[in-house]
Amino acid sequence: MNYIEVRNLVKTFKERGKTLTAVDGISFSAKKGEIFGLLGPNGAGKSTTINILTGLLEKDSGTIKLLGFEPEKNWEYVKNHCNVATAYSWLSDVLTIRQNLKVYARLYGVKNHEQKINELLELFELKEIADRKVVRLSSGENTRTVLCKGLINDPKVLFLDECTVGLDPDIADKTRTLIKDYQKKNDCTILFTSHYMYEVEQLCDRIAFMSEGKIVRIDTSDNLKRMIKKRTVEIAVKKDVGALKNFLKTEGVDVWFGKGNNLRFEVTTEKDKMYKVISKIFHQGFMLSNLHIQGPTLDDIFIKISRKK
Amino acid sequence: MKLYRINALLLKYYYLTVSRIDRLFDIVYWPVIDLFIWGFTGFYIQGLSDVNVLSMLLGGVILWVFVWRSSQDIAVFILEDFWSRNLYHLFSSPIRLSEHLTSIIVMGFIRSLATFVILWPLGILMYSFNILQISPLLVALSVFLLTLFGWAIGLLIAAFLFRYGQRIQIIAWSVTFVLSPFAAIYYPVSALPPWAAKIALALPPAHVFEALRALIYGTPVNVRGLWYAFIASLALFIATAYFLVISFRHSKRTGLLAKGD
Ligand SMILES: Nc1ncnc2c1ncn2[C@@H]1O[C@H](COP(=O)(O)OP(=O)(O)OP(=O)(O)O)[C@@H](O)[C@H]1O
Ligand SMILES: [Mg+2]
Repeated sequence: MNYIEVRNLVKTFKERGKTLTAVDGISFSAKKGEIFGLLGPNGAGKSTTINILTGLLEKDSGTIKLLGFEPEKNWEYVKNHCNVATAYSWLSDVLTIRQNLKVYARLYGVKNHEQKINELLELFELKEIADRKVVRLSSGENTRTVLCKGLINDPKVLFLDECTVGLDPDIADKTRTLIKDYQKKNDCTILFTSHYMYEVEQLCDRIAFMSEGKIVRIDTSDNLKRMIKKRTVEIAVKKDVGALKNFLKTEGVDVWFGKGNNLRFEVTTEKDKMYKVISKIFHQGFMLSNLHIQGPTLDDIFIKISRKK
Repeated sequence: MKLYRINALLLKYYYLTVSRIDRLFDIVYWPVIDLFIWGFTGFYIQGLSDVNVLSMLLGGVILWVFVWRSSQDIAVFILEDFWSRNLYHLFSSPIRLSEHLTSIIVMGFIRSLATFVILWPLGILMYSFNILQISPLLVALSVFLLTLFGWAIGLLIAAFLFRYGQRIQIIAWSVTFVLSPFAAIYYPVSALPPWAAKIALALPPAHVFEALRALIYGTPVNVRGLWYAFIASLALFIATAYFLVISFRHSKRTGLLAKGD
């Protein structure tokens, strides 16, 4: 069953007589239990899409279904079973973390909310500072507080709009694990945006690539990465760097010098060519001290798609 | 409308009231200062003439609180959500505008009552002025009429906030002050120049304070004036509520709720 369904969604903003089309007729759907990523450059329309889905913005046209219902028609049910978190907003800043969570637990009609709040505080390592006012929190602590709010009602559909901004690498990693674990346990659907590509790759089952309000492509990250054939190889040799460089030139590959005895070269054709070149290097008797092969990353795909307009 | 969601926000406004010194000042500090200023002024003038000025001034101070708090609390509690960029979470939750406003209105009324409970005995203690001695019925009626008018003004400010964002917050702070000269709180409408008297009589509060003065001086109460105050306040309340609903929908089109400004 599709938990999120968007068809021909359009949203324009009017500013000083000019019309700006932020979302330009996009369609996509995410199944129950799927983590669906929205990727794209700044201003692509990702947040606008999420804001329409959470009911903060009114769409111009198109249809939306959440949990199988049109939100306007089954407002109460849909709202009670969805939630959202983003690092760019705050809860009431003069209230403490715990007070805020108590308010939101009641708003969402959460049963046993004391227990739920304690669980979440424990999970996000906020227990010690639960009675601190939100205004005094560091940005990472605030981000985690907002995430607690996002999970307070055990949502079936969760919108995460850049929810890991400002987290240190350790907490960010823990947070991703928490999100993944939560999603597995509850079989919920997550619509996820982030500018951290490794995060998108690690979490998302499928990715929709947005640019200028349109969806350019929807696919898994593995399939997306097949769009780029380039492989980068990094080699360090014990001696004879110059000779290796000359040899690679005769093989027709681009070479960059690294530091000391390091060489980097890029093979832009097929994988086969890369393997051929490497095996030839061995046959020539060069003494390798390091060899590293790097496939295309989602960053490469991101840059390729965003620049192709 | 769901009661548990209204309660959730009442809890929030309770937390806001007790954890923010400004919100406590609203209830205690400013009204008490007002009571002192007008109380001593009344004391002084009373010595010069034999008109019952003191009762008139203190009655005005105590009852005006209901317009002041009812209108300003709506504005301030909405502004608090603007300031902390919290509208995003509030309105992505299952809350409805009607529930949001009901909770603010109820909280504002509770806060007005709290001020009343402070000013009433303080009036007795400091100036031997017991407002309930004038007429409990009229005091209750005044509280009702002034609160209704205060809500209407509050909804109007809320509508402007959702329409234009927090850049118009100066209106939120000043509107009750701008209105107060025309409310004829401390002086009769007849003391105003003709143009100002016209404005005063068009607004509901002046009729309420005229009735209060009539009772204090033992002259007949203008019942039609009170009816006018009721109908005008109710009409204003309905009109501003409608304007607010339109502004709120407008804010969903412009993205104010998502961006907070
Ligand atoms: N309330 C608004 N009024 C006018 N224009 C808006 C409003 N909200 C968004 N926009 C415009 O719509 C476009 C899409 O914005 P949106 O916030 O959806 O982008 P995004 O993909 O989330 O970008 P980012 O990666 O920077 O968060 C942008 O050009 C933005 O300036
Ligand atoms: Mg965004």
